[in-house]
Amino acid sequence: MNSKVTNRIALSVIVLCAAAMAAVLISMLGYILVKGLSSISWHFLTTSASPFMPGGGIKDQLWNSFYVLFITMLLTVPIGVCGGIYLAEYAKPGKITSFIRTCVEVLASLPSIVVGMFGMLLFVNYFGFKYSVLSGALALTVFNLPVIVRVTEDGFRALPRHQKEGGLALGMTHWHTIKTILLPAAFPSILTGIILSAGRVFGESAALLFTAGLSTPDLNFENWNPLAPDSPLNLFRSAETLSVHIWSVNTGGIMPDVDTIANGSAAVLVICVLIFNLFARMLGKIINQKFSGK
Amino acid sequence: MIEMKNNIVSFTNNTVTQERPVQLSVEHVNIFYGENHAVKDVTIPIHEKSITALIGPSGCGKSTFLRTINRMNDLIPSARCEGTINYKEVNILNPKVDVVQLRKEIGMVFQQPNPFPKSISENIQLPLRFAGVRSKKVLKQVTEDCLKQVGLWDEVKDRLDRSATSLSGGQQQRLCIARALALKPDVILLDEPTSALDPVSSAKIEELLLELKNSYTIIIVTHNMQQAARIADYTAFFYQGELVEFGTTKTLFTTPEKKSTADYISGRFG
Repeated sequence: MNSKVTNRIALSVIVLCAAAMAAVLISMLGYILVKGLSSISWHFLTTSASPFMPGGGIKDQLWNSFYVLFITMLLTVPIGVCGGIYLAEYAKPGKITSFIRTCVEVLASLPSIVVGMFGMLLFVNYFGFKYSVLSGALALTVFNLPVIVRVTEDGFRALPRHQKEGGLALGMTHWHTIKTILLPAAFPSILTGIILSAGRVFGESAALLFTAGLSTPDLNFENWNPLAPDSPLNLFRSAETLSVHIWSVNTGGIMPDVDTIANGSAAVLVICVLIFNLFARMLGKIINQKFSGK
Repeated sequence: MIEMKNNIVSFTNNTVTQERPVQLSVEHVNIFYGENHAVKDVTIPIHEKSITALIGPSGCGKSTFLRTINRMNDLIPSARCEGTINYKEVNILNPKVDVVQLRKEIGMVFQQPNPFPKSISENIQLPLRFAGVRSKKVLKQVTEDCLKQVGLWDEVKDRLDRSATSLSGGQQQRLCIARALALKPDVILLDEPTSALDPVSSAKIEELLLELKNSYTIIIVTHNMQQAARIADYTAFFYQGELVEFGTTKTLFTTPEKKSTADYISGRFG
């Protein structure tokens, strides 16, 4: 067999694999959207779920998903970015550093149901946070933190070394070089990583089953006092998120329109994750342009 | 052999009329990377307001030596250094020396042009602001002065807010020199500044260096012997980590003392 034939075979195998992958993705996405889009309406998005009657919506679940996501990001982004900067810039290569890095990798690949059980033991029971937004966000922090650390470290390592040398050679301190040159240069890739991880957090269910709970108190969307028990902002109330809702409706829902609600919720979830991804790309591009001049 | 060399290289600017005072006095400097003895017992005077070229084949330790002068080798964990480099009566190899302050006085330009991915003016103003310059007027003025000094002002004055990465390689390198000048250093170290550039851009940088030597002490590492001959007042030849020969460029190129120097500059090896 001559090399031209080999070349052609390799090309067709690769094209075939890519096509198969794209076909699976597109058909899955298409299936979810076709089944679900018909059940999405303004009414569906802005009505609270009803346990027995048909016509319930997902307003609270949608809000909870975003709120848990927001709290998780608030906890993970500052700590994760600092940890990533430490690993990329300050940690001296050695046993301790590589041990930390291994820990981060293991933590990132923990099965989420294990994180959920751990969260229940530690946050729900031991710290007494009960099933709450806070417990859920803390559990999600456990596996989102290493992702952010990783994204930040990779973002810094991908920068050319002469950028850092350039800053230092101009009489800037290490920290100032990081702050004004390296971090802005790495920012687009860090931001993209953060938003992509947000998509994962948004769709997470297993880790939230035992931490954020399977129910939501009647929320009063006019009461924004975070200490009130019926306030959407209350951190210590239970909060069923959208993906947990899909699971619970499918396994134990007794309303007559279970299928419609599950399909609609799934479609909303997928659309949100899709928006996250597109948003990540767009924002990355814009910020890159802004930081590097026009 | 010597006549032949004179045909290869032309000395346009090696007019060291009188010995300039010594700005950096390097004494018995040894540099190690782990076990590897990269620079061996180098003693060399660096004269003020002149160009000193460090030449030698790849891996001879010339870049390592250059990077020691503003302590950039501190970044490499395995690097270790002995001996003294006296600058303003301070041994700059002393670990207690404030490297941040040192690097303001001894600037550096790298082989690969490395402008920050920011606007042209920001590239010059960022280190200035860190150095404590706050006044917008001063910042603007220094930006203009430095860009004029490197002959970049007319090319970029209408697009100072454009990204520095949109400039050509030669322009980027001149911007990097301008950026180093903004801090008003005494010494400028250049690590093969033209090896990534085309001949026209290289010639512009060489011209610029000849102008700058009136106000700054310049040390340049180059693998290009013709370049050393064209611009340097003094030349040091490094081979396998040792300083083989040091002298005025004219002496070194026309009447080298050591055989390996003669062999290298006549192109027998390297």
